[in-house]
Amino acid sequence: MQRQKVDAQPAYVLHTYPFRETSLIVEAFSRDFGRIALLARGARRPRSAVRGLLMAFQPLELSWAGKGEVLTLMKAEWQGGQPLLVGQALFCGYYLNELLIHLLPREDPHERLFERYSQMLGSLGNDPAGKVSEPELRRFEKALLQELGYGLTLNVDSAGTPVEVDAFYAYEIEQGPVRQEQGGQAVRGQTLLDLAAENFSDPRTRVEAKQLMRSLMAYYLGGAELATRKIFKELQEL
Amino acid sequence: MTPSSLEALIEALRCLPGVGPKSAQRMAYHLLQRDRKGAQRLGDALLHALQSIRHCQRCNTFTESDICERCASPKRDQKQLCVVETPVDMNMMEQTHAYQGLYYVLMGRISPLDGIGPRELGLDRLLARALDGVVEEVILATNYTNEGEATGHYITAMLKPHGINVTRIARGVPVGGELEYVDSGTLAQALRERRLCSP
Repeated sequence: MQRQKVDAQPAYVLHTYPFRETSLIVEAFSRDFGRIALLARGARRPRSAVRGLLMAFQPLELSWAGKGEVLTLMKAEWQGGQPLLVGQALFCGYYLNELLIHLLPREDPHERLFERYSQMLGSLGNDPAGKVSEPELRRFEKALLQELGYGLTLNVDSAGTPVEVDAFYAYEIEQGPVRQEQGGQAVRGQTLLDLAAENFSDPRTRVEAKQLMRSLMAYYLGGAELATRKIFKELQEL
Repeated sequence: MTPSSLEALIEALRCLPGVGPKSAQRMAYHLLQRDRKGAQRLGDALLHALQSIRHCQRCNTFTESDICERCASPKRDQKQLCVVETPVDMNMMEQTHAYQGLYYVLMGRISPLDGIGPRELGLDRLLARALDGVVEEVILATNYTNEGEATGHYITAMLKPHGINVTRIARGVPVGGELEYVDSGTLAQALRERRLCSP
């Protein structure tokens, strides 16, 4: 890989890990370089210029240099305009970050997804009570799968016939909707069409779309249980 | 060749933060060569501390007895419980001389991406502590990081249904802070959380 120097790249911190005594490894999602790992030297020193800056969910401009798997962070600048996430929205933000960490390959640029992520954080930060809009979340999940090349087939079933509103389908990976007799894990044709049109006005669509997305994500995550989901469940069990 | 007990000592010293193989070796040789008395003291102190230090049953901080001095003190206000992440945070709160209530030390924070949730943090013990019938207000003094906020949110959701008042320490421009030198993030948040002035 070429030794490179990147200046003022729009990016978000996804997660940080302590490294040695005073440094941090930063997992970041950058606009033009995708998911990258950066070493922030001395970032945990009490008077470090980037301490408190390398925080998830805040728009930053990062500059780095180096080659190989871990690059060296040279500079970080706060961009602003994004309120800190609170409440449910904060846990939802963690969920997005965990998805990106697990699903995005390293150094694979996804400019459109970056914009979606940025908009999604904006909408999460907008509600002062930290409520999460489920439709927004579904749209983001759909866009994420699309960007990763796992786009969903929602209008036609596996036999090539258009999806019917009143019929029931099981969504099979790689095949798309397979027509079913009612029962089991089946979703309504209506839900598939609504998801295709990103229309979430029907409450049953919202419930079924959530379950469908959950099973799809579980498949693409290769069976790894998301820590954020586990913790969110514990929160709801209160 | 290094004797195996010396090797073991070097290896053991490496568990200290900031100590790599080189420093560990230097420390081990220093202790054995120049300061054997110091080494004895260090060993004794370490063993003694390990045996006698435990968590306070009420506030979870380090103590030598079942209940720490602060929790046992009749001078403290039993109605207020301040939740902090670490014993160091508690010392900082004490230095303010502005708080007379009691504490609960979490010994960590919720960090979903590190797999640390309420169970790992033992938040059920905080719940039991806050529901002793005397505590009226729980003051959240967790860090102003995403993890600190997440922890605060969780504790609020846990305690609110039990009729406990949950408050959060304010954030904003530091005392004596000139706007010119305040970082933009802090200033932006201070602006968002501005409050109505009363005459």
